[in-house]
Amino acid sequence: MFGLWKTWKALEARGIMGINRRNADYVLKYNKRSLYPIVDDKIITKERAIAAGIHVPEMYGVISTEKEIDRLEAIIDGRRDFVIKPAQGAGGDGILVIADRFEGHYRSISGRLVSHGEIEHQISSILTGLYSLGGHRDRALIEYRVTPDPIFKSISYEGVPDIRVIVLMGYPVMAMLRLPTRQSHGKANLHQGAIGVGVDLATGITLRGTWLNNIIRKHPDTTHPVDGVQLPNWDAFMQLAAGCHELCGLGYIGVDMVLDQDKGPLILELNARPGLNIQIANDCGLTHRTHAVEAHLAELAAAGITETPQARVRFVQELFGHVPALND
Amino acid sequence: MRSLTLHLKILITVLVLLGASVTAYQIFVLGIPVTEDATDDLWNIDAKVEFVASTKEPVKIQMFVPPLSRDYVSLNESFISNNYGVSVNRADGNRKVTWSARKVSGKQTLYYRLVLTKRYTGEKPKVKGQTFRDSMAIEGPEKIAADALLAPIRQHSADVETFIGETIKRVNNLGDDNVKLLLAGDPSTPHKAQIIELLLSIAHVPMERAHTLRLVADQPQTPELWLRSFNGNDWLYFNPDTGEQGLPSDRLLWWTGADNLISVEGGKKAGVTFSLNNSEMNAIRLAKLTDENSDANFLEYSLYGLPLQTQQTFMIMVMIPIGVLVILILRNLIGLQTLGTFTPVLIALAFRETQLGFGIVLFTIITALGLSLRSYLEHLKLQMLPRLSVVLTFVVVLIAAISLFSHKLGLERGLSVALFPMVILTMTIERLSITWEERGANHALKVAIGTLFAASLAHLIMTVPELIYFVFTFPAILLILVGFMLAMGRYRGYRLTELVRFKAFLKENA
Repeated sequence: MFGLWKTWKALEARGIMGINRRNADYVLKYNKRSLYPIVDDKIITKERAIAAGIHVPEMYGVISTEKEIDRLEAIIDGRRDFVIKPAQGAGGDGILVIADRFEGHYRSISGRLVSHGEIEHQISSILTGLYSLGGHRDRALIEYRVTPDPIFKSISYEGVPDIRVIVLMGYPVMAMLRLPTRQSHGKANLHQGAIGVGVDLATGITLRGTWLNNIIRKHPDTTHPVDGVQLPNWDAFMQLAAGCHELCGLGYIGVDMVLDQDKGPLILELNARPGLNIQIANDCGLTHRTHAVEAHLAELAAAGITETPQARVRFVQELFGHVPALND
Repeated sequence: MRSLTLHLKILITVLVLLGASVTAYQIFVLGIPVTEDATDDLWNIDAKVEFVASTKEPVKIQMFVPPLSRDYVSLNESFISNNYGVSVNRADGNRKVTWSARKVSGKQTLYYRLVLTKRYTGEKPKVKGQTFRDSMAIEGPEKIAADALLAPIRQHSADVETFIGETIKRVNNLGDDNVKLLLAGDPSTPHKAQIIELLLSIAHVPMERAHTLRLVADQPQTPELWLRSFNGNDWLYFNPDTGEQGLPSDRLLWWTGADNLISVEGGKKAGVTFSLNNSEMNAIRLAKLTDENSDANFLEYSLYGLPLQTQQTFMIMVMIPIGVLVILILRNLIGLQTLGTFTPVLIALAFRETQLGFGIVLFTIITALGLSLRSYLEHLKLQMLPRLSVVLTFVVVLIAAISLFSHKLGLERGLSVALFPMVILTMTIERLSITWEERGANHALKVAIGTLFAASLAHLIMTVPELIYFVFTFPAILLILVGFMLAMGRYRGYRLTELVRFKAFLKENA
């Protein structure tokens, strides 16, 4: 009992945020329920982002009724690679990634051959709500297939690594690179076994990683070190993340971004309840950082100023960036 | 934000205070017992009156019934008789029922039924009685014998109480010549009582005959004669055979005086037989029953005012918030992962039907089989609704099979599964399989075990009889519960499991 209390105090001193605090102080306080559909539905997120001039993977088309499945051919329009996603899917379920065509068939990312009929069935399943939260009817989204930048080749296994940034009222407070592993089946979700690697907000250099709540330094599949990697285009990522607050109106979000080898940083999706493992990846608690941002916001509000995304990024980079390198 | 916190604090304080004060009022002012086991003995007395009616005359039967003035409370009294007019009247501290009919014939049977319980109130109404009486006139040898008996009694007694006791002892000394003379060869108790009254009247001590019934279950009883005398404050009771003073607590006063229990006009061979039995009753129910015969109406607006059937439903319903509270604590304070929020409570309710151990086994078997079916259906790529329907049907078939199987094996318990809410099972299977696919087998297993654990704990707590009684009797407790839940709504501390989850931070520093 005493040991637990000590652990409690130690975690609190380091500003580690628990689920209860995240829900009570951030999710419930900053995220209006009525705005959830914007982030829950990837199509709405995408439309908003396009309207705001934020870079997202190009949308080829949307299928919302069984009848419209006939239009699939027209939507694909002869492209060799594309992605089919449920608009309200969760946990990466129901996503079909077509990497190439082969003799009238399609070839999925893992090399499996898929017939046109199978794709139509997949879309039909998406429409009936097979993959949506709560089993509601859903829409299928057909979009550009992201090709990850070669920089990630050595530290990821299949799939597309993505960058998760937690953004409080437009201020990025913490960032993490998520690397798929063999165990996560190419998915970038931490609870499925992907690796989370902390990222210095100012420089974009990776820190160490977390894998299933443990601290690691090497990718288990490629054995390359995951720390000390300079992410290209880092400021663009930060600007994208900071701009998402205006895009959706939610105050506390996780922004998931990818680095495409041709198109650069793109926003994949937004999350209204970002997970807490990012803290382990950064070896740093969220609470101190969010409190600093809240104090800054209060100051600005008193002075009657609102900052631009550029100013916000500068603020957090100065305050939270340049984490001393680990030397042990 | 701050004003919201203040608002919440005030709300919580108001709710807790309201709940606590209503409950305190119920306990301390209304005196409702806090635990259920304060049960009271309930006596059911049947007096069966039998006689043969003569065909010619109208019939009139009079019988004494208990006056119930002091030590007992009548809960229900009924006179069961066909074609008879019934009237009850009071006279000289006695109560008498009169049955009358113009034309009846043959053997007649009438019933008088009384349900009563002991009165526990502290203050008793004042009683009145005579403390002086005139001497009965006697002459001749009887007078001499009486005087001879009284002389030593006077010597051996100090007050009225000892005087009466001494008198009774002397009269019971059948070897004494004076006693023999007075009894004149009839040593029956009523006759002895008559002699005692005579002797006492000479000393101007009033004496009354009290006929009592002994409250013993399942033994035929006949009225028992006691003597009583008023000492200015209270009645003193004496056993006419032993001179023993004090009425045992299991005696019920039926009537006083020299009259017979029953008198019949227009009939013969009258007889009364008594049969008694007792049962125990929850003190609250008893209070409710007593209410109908008294004016204390404090339970009128409690849940006890509902019909019995509805009460039983509410006994389950008031426990649901307790179950939810258990889940709330397990999830938000401990950090246990369960399937959905209220599924464990629903499963806990289902355990009511099946018993805990059997329920867990059933839940596990059906869910495991259902999951394997669900994973098979996964290959068929079915749409959601048809798939759910197939799983539900499968669950029904499974339950039927288990019932049949266990019935053939002679296990009656298996039949109770028919009522096991199968929709809950179906939804559990569905959600568990989604969890399985999304987050892997390990997580699904963890969640399933967490759900079972939460459901078992909720079930165990929801079926504690003392707790059910308490919440049902003092529903204001639920307000305190709401206060706690509101406070939990803004709880920001760590969950117990998070202390383990974030251990990585501490290792690094140590």
